[in-house]
Amino acid sequence: MRPVLRCAVLAMLAVLAAGGCARAAAERAAPRRIMSLNLCTDLLLLQIAPRARIASVTFLAPQAARALFPGAADGIPLNHGSAEDIINIRPDLILDSGLGAPLTRTMARRVGARIVEVKDANNFDDIRQIVRQIGEAVGAPMRAKALIARMDATLARLAAHPPRRRLRVVAWSGGSAVPGKGSLTDAIITAAGAVNIAARPGTAESSFGVEELLAADPDALLFGGATLGQPSLLTDEGQHRAVRRRFAGRRIAYNDVAHTCGLPQSADSAAALRRAFDALPPRRPLR
Amino acid sequence: MRPLPRFLMPALAGLALLAAAVGSLFLGRVNISPADLWAGIVAPQASLAGLVVSELRLPRAVLAILVGGALGLSGAVLQGLLRNPLAEPGLLGVTNGAALGAVIAIYFGLAHVFALATPLLGLAGAMAAGALTFAFGRTSSLTLILAGAAVSSLMAAFLAMALNFAPSPYAAYEMSIWMLGSFAEKSWDHVLLAAPFIVGGMAILAVQGRAIDALTLGEAQAESLGVAVDRTRVLVLLGVGLAVGAATSVVGSVGFIGLVAPHLVRPFVGHQPSRTLLPSTLLGATLLLLADIGTRVIPTNTELRLGVITSLVGAPFFFWLLVRLRRMAP
Repeated sequence: MRPVLRCAVLAMLAVLAAGGCARAAAERAAPRRIMSLNLCTDLLLLQIAPRARIASVTFLAPQAARALFPGAADGIPLNHGSAEDIINIRPDLILDSGLGAPLTRTMARRVGARIVEVKDANNFDDIRQIVRQIGEAVGAPMRAKALIARMDATLARLAAHPPRRRLRVVAWSGGSAVPGKGSLTDAIITAAGAVNIAARPGTAESSFGVEELLAADPDALLFGGATLGQPSLLTDEGQHRAVRRRFAGRRIAYNDVAHTCGLPQSADSAAALRRAFDALPPRRPLR
Repeated sequence: MRPLPRFLMPALAGLALLAAAVGSLFLGRVNISPADLWAGIVAPQASLAGLVVSELRLPRAVLAILVGGALGLSGAVLQGLLRNPLAEPGLLGVTNGAALGAVIAIYFGLAHVFALATPLLGLAGAMAAGALTFAFGRTSSLTLILAGAAVSSLMAAFLAMALNFAPSPYAAYEMSIWMLGSFAEKSWDHVLLAAPFIVGGMAILAVQGRAIDALTLGEAQAESLGVAVDRTRVLVLLGVGLAVGAATSVVGSVGFIGLVAPHLVRPFVGHQPSRTLLPSTLLGATLLLLADIGTRVIPTNTELRLGVITSLVGAPFFFWLLVRLRRMAP
């Protein structure tokens, strides 16, 4: 390495280290510059922490937030989850999925930020746990408690009024990756009072071809809207004409953000599915 | 090995194809008894068996026969035209061109706008790639191979770029999965879209027998025998472009069928290229049908993709070819 370049790098590291020391002292107080590096933690952070203390969310957040709580992400600086973003934003708390790049952790240590790893939620217990975890991390445990209470009230209402008939459904928009047992979508379908016919033991996601679909002959097909981003090929695959004909008027769209990320709104999605199930007309089964 | 009588090989290949086609109607992820299936075929009411046979397995089998036949025939014609045992349909760049077109459709989410956007753009990509190969490579067989390789790598570069800039992780996943090839969820819509191009391309290729026979003596000798070699090259490129381009744009990239099928029939028909065309077509269709049956009956949680099976079976074939060449060489 050239001497000039080496000096520059050393100087930069020194600045980072100094910043880190200064910050370490102030760490005990509630974090004031919170940064999220993952879409799911974005959506939880936007609901739990006071807006003034959110330093940055990912570039995916505005579009996903638009469907759930419009405007919540407006004006908040966006990041692409890179180490450079951390240097720019200089957060004191980082929320991450634990799947982030190792360099992220190194940089976080350098700027003196605490990292809180939030795991993926695959059921409502997981959601309670991560909402509580983030509430404590950002210093807003009461807000987290209120969100959990609201979610539990929705779930309790659904459980108290079970549907007359448990419908057999499947989240199917093309057969290549259908959510099965142990997935969040499976938990939401169960909470809505229906049976997920793709819930075979052992796999959270599996292939479920058109043949299997027609043989199982579910009452309705659920499919994620294009709320997460670009519409995709799966949308085409869901349009096999045998499927189109058999399930005309029996395809129900759900908000795929609340099925991808474990959120308090995942319970709202279950309630919305229940309303859609109740509105389905009866039909003749295949022989 | 002594060549079989002239009509025996096509007849045997035809029988194998028939058996595979019947098998593909009766085998699937869902077990339906042959009696129920037969009832479904003869009385197409809204029964499960009728629906499965008429809307799923039949279009799938027809598509597999068309695509496999196109690959087998293209491979046989190209190996004859270029006098190269490694020639295969992807050589001219049309396979990668079709893949690029389809991936562009996925990239921009066009499938959301209208259902057949992916195969249509794939077809356009194959035509564009074929035109590019033609523009640069029409002068001789060597330039045709080189131009094909250049166009192939250019298309592969754009494919890599599309994956790089995929709008979401899901899109990248879908693009790479699409390229592995599959007959799952193909309907009559796909058959109707691809069949005219595949049949047209195959018709052009099927009448090149005399020209590629003459070409075994060398280009100059073939010219002296009255074969318009330049015209043959153009027609073969057009035929391969139409047939393989349409095939790839509907089912994704399927490797090795076009390479393997001609080699498998050659020992039985003697080394006269024109005699490999029909058996190679039938065998290509049979092999692809068998591969498709494999994707259905091999029990996996995630669907085994067609391209994976054909590569797994096809790559060892290279070793066999190598061993055989070593044995034949002094």
